[in-house]
Amino acid sequence: MTPPHSNDGAQILTARQAGLVGCHSCGRVHPMGTARCGRCGAPLHSRMPGSLQKVWAWLFAGMVVYVPANIYPMLLTTSFGRTTENTIIGGVVELMHYGSYGVALIVFVASVLIPVGKFLAIGYLALVVDPRSRLGGRLRQGQDLHRRQHLFEVVEFIGRWSMIDVFVVAILSALVQLDFAATINPGIAAVSFSLSVAFTMLAALSFDPRLIWDAEQDKIS
Amino acid sequence: MSTDNTTPTSDQTPGQTPGQMRIDPPKRSFWRNLSLIWLVPILALVVSLGIAWQTYAARGVSIEISFLNASGVRPGETTIRYRDVVIGTVEEVRFTPDLARVLVTASVDREVADTLPADAQFWVVQPEVSARGITGLSTVLSGVYIETSFTPVADAEARVFTGMDSAPLIREGQKGTRITLRTRDANRISAGAPILFHGIEVGHIETPRLILSSDSVVFDAFIMAPHDRRLSTATRFWDTSGFTVSLGTGGLSLDVGNLAALVTGGIAFDTIFSGGAPLNPGYIFDLFPDETAARQSLFTGVGANAVEMVIEFDGSVNGLAVGSPVRFRGLRVGEVRAIGAVLVDRGSPRGVRLRTTIALDPQALGLPAEAGPEATVAFLREAVDQGLRAQLATSSLFTASLVIELAELPDATPATLEQREDGMIVLPSVKSELPDFTATAEGVLERINALPVEDLMNQAITLMASIEAVVSSDGTRQAPDAALALIEDIRALVGGEDTQALPGELRGGLAEVRGMVEELRLRGAIDKLVTVLESADTIAANTATASGEIPALVADIRGLIARASGVEIETLAAAATRLVESTDRLIGSDEMRALPPALASALAEVSQVLAALREGEAVENVNRTLASTRSAAESVAQAMQSLPELSQRLERLVAQADGLIAAYGARSDFNTEAMQVMREFRDTARAVTQLARAIERNPNSLLIGR
Repeated sequence: MTPPHSNDGAQILTARQAGLVGCHSCGRVHPMGTARCGRCGAPLHSRMPGSLQKVWAWLFAGMVVYVPANIYPMLLTTSFGRTTENTIIGGVVELMHYGSYGVALIVFVASVLIPVGKFLAIGYLALVVDPRSRLGGRLRQGQDLHRRQHLFEVVEFIGRWSMIDVFVVAILSALVQLDFAATINPGIAAVSFSLSVAFTMLAALSFDPRLIWDAEQDKIS
Repeated sequence: MSTDNTTPTSDQTPGQTPGQMRIDPPKRSFWRNLSLIWLVPILALVVSLGIAWQTYAARGVSIEISFLNASGVRPGETTIRYRDVVIGTVEEVRFTPDLARVLVTASVDREVADTLPADAQFWVVQPEVSARGITGLSTVLSGVYIETSFTPVADAEARVFTGMDSAPLIREGQKGTRITLRTRDANRISAGAPILFHGIEVGHIETPRLILSSDSVVFDAFIMAPHDRRLSTATRFWDTSGFTVSLGTGGLSLDVGNLAALVTGGIAFDTIFSGGAPLNPGYIFDLFPDETAARQSLFTGVGANAVEMVIEFDGSVNGLAVGSPVRFRGLRVGEVRAIGAVLVDRGSPRGVRLRTTIALDPQALGLPAEAGPEATVAFLREAVDQGLRAQLATSSLFTASLVIELAELPDATPATLEQREDGMIVLPSVKSELPDFTATAEGVLERINALPVEDLMNQAITLMASIEAVVSSDGTRQAPDAALALIEDIRALVGGEDTQALPGELRGGLAEVRGMVEELRLRGAIDKLVTVLESADTIAANTATASGEIPALVADIRGLIARASGVEIETLAAAATRLVESTDRLIGSDEMRALPPALASALAEVSQVLAALREGEAVENVNRTLASTRSAAESVAQAMQSLPELSQRLERLVAQADGLIAAYGARSDFNTEAMQVMREFRDTARAVTQLARAIERNPNSLLIGR
């Protein structure tokens, strides 16, 4: 098996292998086993304790609240006494029905594709980095660690854009309050969806990307 | 490092001895490692499940309502409301299998659905504009909704309901009393019309409907609490629809109800008398056409338990109409329901009889209110045995309308209340006293007929024609003015003191005339005059022979005489002409309009004068005087016959005198004397001539001095 190496193929010594631990806050390096950073006082961990556990917890929470976000109405539009309710998928269908394919695509991507993709991506990463997982072991076959890191970066970057839908609902609800003529109110789904996005972002945040590279160490050992 | 021992994590196992490496129970390790962060997904799950459960719980109970038509009802949008609060939403609209009705499936809040009774009312609320106002305006924008009304019950199981076509007038749960009203014709009453009590709306009418068993229109009405406490059997309802105009001795009366009642019709009620019994279920009120009828209905009460019977009459029933009252001792106890002719086969006389169906109110007859038809018939049978008979009577002296009177005639021919096989009850009738009055009237009419009206009319026409001819002539048209002026003159004349004094003077004058005439006659003045003239003639002849002619004098005398006579005639003619002209003007003047009053007063004065004349015996005197005058006139006429002779003699005398004078010379004493004599003669002759002519023209001038 090839030793861990960087893109240029050079051997890389990790901090852990060197018996050191870096501070998350200020970056100062301490010897392994130091409880707190001598400079800023932050607790020191070689790896985030319970990282995968937190990832799974946030991921589950995000997936749980994503269900009502899709079942319940996102928008409550009241116009001249008539109230129409739109779920996310319903809104997409309606937009397509009216011919706004572009907008429908944006909504669909932001509200469906991205969250679902994030769920899959985070779940995949969490599985892959867990050495005890058999499913993860099967998935691990022949994977490039760099691609995992890349995937993680994309997930972390794109998470905030999932809030587009929530922003649209929030802005519409704030602006369109014309009493009897037209009123738009957020439905339960809006809260659920924003919670779902927040939970998945927290899941991504809880993921310790160093775990990705630990796999390299495991292979060596 | 001391910390190595205290942190036995799996990551840091490599440098430890196996003895030190205690195998921690995985379970414990799992729990110890279990992060609190797992609370978050658990909490999210709980909340989501909570929301789901709440949604499921709030999903409501599915109920099914069938409508005849579901205009405007849309699945997912149309709401179901109870007291204007949304309790559910329509989920599906479909047809019944036979397409006869529309089935609306709706989910309703469970807590409401569990109290829905089977007879809950559902109706579609739509905008409606009616005389009583505009309702359902909010549905114009928001779309229709389904309103429900019910009296909640516990643990209701009903899930299938029948919707109403229109909003019920009385909501479930509204307190009040539902009553039934009956009328003969409901064309002024429409559904929803208000029921008024002293002008305050206290209830509604529901849709009128015909009942199959009779020809009456029956409708339910609802009187709201607490006003329903006023209802009793003494309550009378009447129609206040539209407006009433009545013209009577009190003047013109216009009675207009409230506006809604004007448009949709209305009903008012009042308790007419005290002591009404509480209402029994199924009690039916009669609707009276107006308040007067309702108030009088105390005496008719031709109401729920009226007994119909039949009276057959022989004579004419002209003047009897449906609705004519049936009276008993002057009280109205019923009314005529129908009049028709029937062929009577049995009994005698056979032929056509007039059958009148009447409805009698037992209560008005004094029977208890709950008396049934049997009791009424029994009562009437007894009454008929004692001489109760129906007869026609005039309702008043001046109208031809008839009423049926139930008279008690103990000595009438015995009869019974006949109950025929078909249930018809026949009340015996007696010949009414009606024809007497008619006969009298006929006699009067015959006598009037016998009057020579036509002759009278012909004469009147002739008279009219004559009058018309006279009146239409020009002279008559001008006459009034002239007559007026004439009358004014006459009045002035008559009213003048002279005229008033006339009778006395006249009497005196007449006496004088009479005396004069008498004297004339006694003395034979004319004869003497003639004699004198003859003597003078003789003298003159002698003188002529003695003295010759006196031509100038003669010429003078002739001219004088001629002139005198000529002037008199011309003057008279001119005067006559003036008189005629003035009369013409008189007639043509305008004051004649005022003729009648002037004439009247003038006539009054004339009559006074005449009375005075009569009193003064002037008429008799005048008569006598006229007689005398006539004789005098005859004498005068005789004298007048001799006047020409006298003239000739005078001429001759004058001629002789001329000759005489000529013989004696112009300036002698004799001549002068002769001239004087001649002049005297001449004057005398002229006076006589005037007198004669005047008398000739107007003999009356002897009397009236002109």
